[in-house]
Amino acid sequence: MKQMITSKQLSAMLSVLLLSPYVAAQDISTHFKGAIDVSLTNPSNMKAWHQQGWGIARFDKGSNQLGVSRAVLSTRVDLSSAWSAHGVAQYVADPKDKFGLTEAYAQYQPLAQGYQFSARIGGFYPRMSLENPALGWASPYTYHYSALNAWLGEEVRTFGAEFELKRAARRFRSKHDISMIGAIFKGNDPAGTLIAWRGFVPHDRQSVFNERIGFAPLKSLSTPQLRLQGQYVEPFTEIDGRFGYYTGLHWSYLKRHNVRLYWYDNNGDPSAINYVTKQYAWDTKFWSLAWRAKLSAQSQVIMQAMLGNTAMGLNRGVDNDFYSWFVMFSHTFDDYRVSAKAEQSKVIDKDFWQFDENASFTQGATINVQKSLSEKWQLGAELQFIDYEADARLAVGRTLGLDEQIWRITAQYQF
Amino acid sequence: MRKILFLFGFVSCSSPALEVTISDSQGKAISGAAVWLAGDQWQASQSQKDKVYSMGQKNRAFVPHTLIIPTKSKVDFPNFDSILHHVYSFSKAKSFELKLYRDKPLAPVHFKETGVVELGCNIHDWMLGYILIVNSGVYGVSNAQGKVNLDINSTQLGNAQLNVWHERFENLDDPESMSLTITQVSQSVKYQIKQPLLEKMEFLTDETDDYE
Repeated sequence: MKQMITSKQLSAMLSVLLLSPYVAAQDISTHFKGAIDVSLTNPSNMKAWHQQGWGIARFDKGSNQLGVSRAVLSTRVDLSSAWSAHGVAQYVADPKDKFGLTEAYAQYQPLAQGYQFSARIGGFYPRMSLENPALGWASPYTYHYSALNAWLGEEVRTFGAEFELKRAARRFRSKHDISMIGAIFKGNDPAGTLIAWRGFVPHDRQSVFNERIGFAPLKSLSTPQLRLQGQYVEPFTEIDGRFGYYTGLHWSYLKRHNVRLYWYDNNGDPSAINYVTKQYAWDTKFWSLAWRAKLSAQSQVIMQAMLGNTAMGLNRGVDNDFYSWFVMFSHTFDDYRVSAKAEQSKVIDKDFWQFDENASFTQGATINVQKSLSEKWQLGAELQFIDYEADARLAVGRTLGLDEQIWRITAQYQF
Repeated sequence: MRKILFLFGFVSCSSPALEVTISDSQGKAISGAAVWLAGDQWQASQSQKDKVYSMGQKNRAFVPHTLIIPTKSKVDFPNFDSILHHVYSFSKAKSFELKLYRDKPLAPVHFKETGVVELGCNIHDWMLGYILIVNSGVYGVSNAQGKVNLDINSTQLGNAQLNVWHERFENLDDPESMSLTITQVSQSVKYQIKQPLLEKMEFLTDETDDYE
């Protein structure tokens, strides 16, 4: 994994942070939080994409029907008033039991009387999602994230620096919070690969640093034009040596309405390729707009839409527009939370490479009920319907469409 | 001498307390107003000063929202949430910061100066709380009906200054006040706030707001 410099740099940075003499000072404290999800599910007959199969459900026949679907350990080290170090490690059961980092960064957030400046340096999620506010970027609403955020979780991560300037409502005796965010990063060049060669799929499998994720054995990968591409993506690697960036705007009104608008551009050079890891740099850019409206203390609506383009190859031989959106309603009463979500995603094949079909269309409906048994224990059930079509399936003699009905029962323990 | 915009009657109450009712300029009851009596006869007792008061953080809010304490007393900041709160104040009366975990309580903070301390949390920036440090031993915060009962005894009758403060005052460092003659331990006083109050802001937060 010679190209996976980013996480090595991160580890080095964290080591410096954790081992520097500064840490020997007295006020440093370390705190851990964690969660373990044990799930019972109906595995799909189709081998999952991460097993290099054509399936679109995370768990297939090769998975345990009952097992740990996710475990997360989150660490916060307070180094001083303003500085803290954060690490989130996750266990991912599929395809091969893996334990890795999903986030590792240093945060600078000094006390402020007026405008608040803060920064994060390291590897972390951009804060585009309003669906994933729980520990380890999980969703407190449904077990399967929307396809939109599932894609963010598997192919988008910032390895760089993010800066924020916030006008916090309370500090200005105002009803409005306004934040401006800007980040530069490296190491997210192959983002877009799964959009082109699998499409959007709702799931809850977050990629860890240095991960390689497989996808189906596409016929097009055997063509001369695509022979240099591996049947997998290493989403967080640096291919072209260029910086990417994103900018964001957060607005909230009395915390009843939250809006997040982002423009992401990995600034990939689509002609760049790493012959060793068989990964291209993709030129991927998109808008993301998320809105959460609290209708009352119990009810809320969350929606998010993404619109963008991704391309690879010297002459943008693979060139796709895409969109994805979801709308979710969530209601709490007593110790229960009930959530229902509808979503749709589409990949539009714009290029002239007829041998490589990328068009896909995904629709999903999800309903989830959870009950808190105690502060530490939670039990829930989810039912999901996915309707998926991909032109690439026709090329290998499969039907265009594939439907899945997935149920999952999960017990979660938090500590 | 400030313009007198108050009424006070001499209606006997069953409990031995000075019952103060706070209203705004429209006559609407105002909750959360801090009220205290200033003057030599209403000083804090040693036991009041020795008590350790509490300003907790629960469900991402300061509990109580407004705490009134006598000068030179101490306040504990227990965190009842499972998450970190980074409590701070830039106020003139007391400037400090505490990184608070539930399982790691810190020593109480000593408030030696009178004044208003505005509390914030560096992580949950909608959290807001107030500590009023007053040179008095007779004080309280008005309830939903705008009422506060100030316990006094028969040795505490006479001319007093009644001070009133509310978080919706334009200038938080400038409480309103009026002169008052206390003739009996059970007495009702109505106080109408002179200035227009700033708009009430009701933030709606839950555990999903942690991810900021």
